[in-house]
Amino acid sequence: MKLCKPDLYKLSDDGRTMLLRAARCSRCGGLSFPAANYGCPLCGAGPECCSEEALSGEARLLEFITIHGKVAPGITPPIVVGEAELAPGIIEEIELAVPEEALTLDMIVQAVPIPIERDEESVLACRFIPKGAL
Amino acid sequence: MPVTLRELRPVHVIGVGMHRYQFPSETPYIHMGLTALRAALTDAGLEFQAIESAHVGTTGCGMAAGRVMFRHIGSTGLAVQQIENASASGSFAFANACLEVASGVRDVALAIGVDKYGDQKRAVTKEGINRLSDTASVPLVKYALLCRTLAREKGLSAEDLARVGWKNHNNASTNPFAQFQKPRTLEQVLNSTRVAGDLTSLQCTPRGEGAAAAIVVSDDAMRSFGLNAARAVRVLSSTAGSETLPQGREPGSVIAARDVALRTYREAGITAQDLDVVELHDAFSIEEILYTEAFGLCPEGHGHHYLREGRSAIGGECAVNSSGGLIAQGHPLGPTGVGQIHEIVRQLRGENGDRQQANARIGMAHMIGLGSVAIAHVLRKD
Ligand SMILES: [Zn+2]
Repeated sequence: MKLCKPDLYKLSDDGRTMLLRAARCSRCGGLSFPAANYGCPLCGAGPECCSEEALSGEARLLEFITIHGKVAPGITPPIVVGEAELAPGIIEEIELAVPEEALTLDMIVQAVPIPIERDEESVLACRFIPKGAL
Repeated sequence: MPVTLRELRPVHVIGVGMHRYQFPSETPYIHMGLTALRAALTDAGLEFQAIESAHVGTTGCGMAAGRVMFRHIGSTGLAVQQIENASASGSFAFANACLEVASGVRDVALAIGVDKYGDQKRAVTKEGINRLSDTASVPLVKYALLCRTLAREKGLSAEDLARVGWKNHNNASTNPFAQFQKPRTLEQVLNSTRVAGDLTSLQCTPRGEGAAAAIVVSDDAMRSFGLNAARAVRVLSSTAGSETLPQGREPGSVIAARDVALRTYREAGITAQDLDVVELHDAFSIEEILYTEAFGLCPEGHGHHYLREGRSAIGGECAVNSSGGLIAQGHPLGPTGVGQIHEIVRQLRGENGDRQQANARIGMAHMIGLGSVAIAHVLRKD
């Protein structure tokens, strides 16, 4: 099955988790996510200084809520979104594949492949679940 | 060293006008824009021929909206430029008009914001970079997440959030230019449709359209046109910035908002405690609470207490969003920043009727635009 957003993640070797595609800058040593082809967002170095570095997809959950309204195209509410620290200092909004009740603050969550329908096609999206539930 | 607005020629707002903000309709933007413009000209005691340049803030009207509109009031040869800066389009139009007069290249300049509810196409969709969550570029979600954290850490309740909507809907209920003019109870705001986390629909800005205009002039123009100095309001500062690299979970918009507010106080030669009226970007209720703290109107972490105690109500220490703000006066994007100037000028002149803040002398208009960008102006009645 195709990945929904292959620029952001890839399947791990055993196919059970998602690895996140970050970028490491050779000039400042900084890590950024998502990786972009435009340059280093931390120091401004050109794209030639940035190389891909895979993150494990483990993240610390900093906050989570349920979205009730259709606040963005492509979402079907209700959905649970959170903020998670993917690596030190890298905080991103994530979608969780479990209800709020299954979540606690500071819990470790893991990026996993979840099949969804997009544009009448089944694709693998990256969602997060409690690491313990893996 | 760069100079600040206050060190250049004095700039005065001499006329303001609006077309009521409203839900998307068939009303042509030209009608709304000219309604606001004619009201501002009447307010100023000027003819359109006197306007040397026009700065048109719009996001949804399409290319070259200004001349299409102005040819129905006079093809005078004035300089026209269009400014798109998301929610802050009108504020930046106003800044440019002020800077032209301050620098000496114009004596009479117009800032006009006019908008239809457009296709809302955002450049971020052309960045070519996905995000893990499809909600990642939706500010509402970022703020709803933060509400939950503040609830835990600072005791911010769902009722506190609703209280912002309550105050601003009630302020707007006597504002003839507001999109919503219905008084609301706290319960109605609290129990309106849940959108994200604890935020409900009556705590969120509506979709809309409308127009607002402000005319700024130099001392020379005040004299040569015999304008009424008693109704002029001085623009003391014009300050803009944008987000810096994020640190922790504080939204970049709040950091930029704080930085611009503190800089604009310095440039205007005032402190937060001098402010009698403030119009700020309450697209979502939580923003007003965060910004009253960020602007130094109350200590960090006390925004909800400041609100609860009525200190930001009309009649309180500093009337915040006496117009009803983005939540209830509305937020048609292009006009919003100019609409803030409209409210503040009327407050400082003592012409704001039921919504008059007693003895108002100094006010700030503060706006955030997608990106985020931030911009603020301090106005004073001398
Ligand atoms: Zn770098």
